[in-house]
Amino acid sequence: MSWLPLLVGLAAPPAYLDPGSGSFLIQLVIAGALGAALAIRMSWSRIKGIFRRKESPPSDSEKHGE
Amino acid sequence: MGSSVRNGASFRDPSGFLFVRDGTLFRQVNQSYRPTFDLLEHSGLYAELVDDGLLIPHTLAAVPAAEPEAASLVLRPDPLSFISYPYEWSFSQLQDAALATLEIQQRALGRGLSLKDASAYNIQFLRGRPVLIDTLSFEVYREGDPWIAYRQFCQHFLAPLALMSRREIRLGQLLRLYIDGVPLDLAVRLLPWKARLNVGLLTHLYLHAASMRRYAGAEVRTAQGARRVTRTGFLGLIDNLRRTVAGLRWDPGRTAWAEYQTMHNYTPVALEAKRRLVVEYFEQARPSSLWDLGANTGAFSRLASERGIDTLSFDVDPSAVEANYRTVRASGEANLLPLLVDLTNPSPAQGWHHAERLSLRQRGPVDAVMALALVHHLAIGNNVPLPQVASFLADLGRWVIIEFVPKSDGQVKRLLAARDDIFSDYNVEGFERAFNGAFELRRREPIAESERTLYLWEKR
Repeated sequence: MSWLPLLVGLAAPPAYLDPGSGSFLIQLVIAGALGAALAIRMSWSRIKGIFRRKESPPSDSEKHGE
Repeated sequence: MGSSVRNGASFRDPSGFLFVRDGTLFRQVNQSYRPTFDLLEHSGLYAELVDDGLLIPHTLAAVPAAEPEAASLVLRPDPLSFISYPYEWSFSQLQDAALATLEIQQRALGRGLSLKDASAYNIQFLRGRPVLIDTLSFEVYREGDPWIAYRQFCQHFLAPLALMSRREIRLGQLLRLYIDGVPLDLAVRLLPWKARLNVGLLTHLYLHAASMRRYAGAEVRTAQGARRVTRTGFLGLIDNLRRTVAGLRWDPGRTAWAEYQTMHNYTPVALEAKRRLVVEYFEQARPSSLWDLGANTGAFSRLASERGIDTLSFDVDPSAVEANYRTVRASGEANLLPLLVDLTNPSPAQGWHHAERLSLRQRGPVDAVMALALVHHLAIGNNVPLPQVASFLADLGRWVIIEFVPKSDGQVKRLLAARDDIFSDYNVEGFERAFNGAFELRRREPIAESERTLYLWEKR
């Protein structure tokens, strides 16, 4: 990806928004579980997708993820 | 070239700001933000979001910057005809704005960027759909960092939506009181106990509020070193917010106003006659923009928007505005924006220096104002003398299409049912006298099979 080098050495300007200590810290606590939940859901839909493909060819709307 | 005037709502973010020069809105991008701005373009995110209608397009402008010593670029965003505020949106409008914000965040993460703010005021409705108007809302995503705008998102979107859905629709008006969104400790005190059973609300409102209370002012920079939010965790957070927001429901039900449409005092002949007259008046006045005041679910607004007139449809009833917006969304209407406004107490100028959020009047005037079946609610329901009704409308537009509803009409009788009739001037003569001051009469037609009269006035 050609834009990736731009990321290197790009010093992020300081944030103007106060995220709030509590709002910052709770994310450290909940993000693990929410990330795991998302990963499980995605692999589950992938597993379902394999079986669905075996049963019947996907329709156009399925191809577009709708 | 004239001088530039800085926008009163554009001062928090040092990345840049909006200014107006010779009537055109520009956005200055400061040098400090330039690398991030370039990344928005080079990453392909700008093109992707603009193509999908999620971000306002801009062009580079060759005008002098408003503050040249800090400036790197000047942009000219596509102009918007009207800026609406979250406290003027119906439930589904706020929900769609929230989902658009999360969609943008998800796509940004896919391209190495992240939203550094999640203000509901950064979303506007353009051609019926929510769009991000703050081009400088992105920052470089650094894996490990939590979402800096998490609190803002919960205050601006999730808390008011949860209150509207789970407690009472009118609590959406808390957004008008709290300019940075509903404080989470207040939201959890107002929500019913059962709201805790929703895992998303429990996490993002209840636990979040508790954490804010427990760790207020705590040092996070050092604590952050050991435990971090992984990329998967970040995506999980955004996805869970999306599911929580999308899972909230509110159904308008059958409140007084939504029913009004079907039970008001018109025969089919009268309704058709009124419709025909309204269209004739449009053809005479030829407005390019119109505010329909007291629009209900927008049946008459659509006579304008379907003719290409840029139309706002105001009503005081959340159910009517919700029903109106759902129609706009379902049929992809581009020229009609329904908004929740109480005309007896319209949106004020507020925020810092009274200049962050404009009053309704400051956001006018328009070519034409329409007030059908409204005058009795203002003059009798709210005791506003008719000359003051006229001067209010004269502030808002050049043309006024207004229906006079006499005391003999069933709707006025209902308003007077339990009170003394102190409105001796409330009759056709008094009405015309009041409007003759500021306006010139252009048309006056009785509406067939009714006692009402439809007027077209033009400002003197």
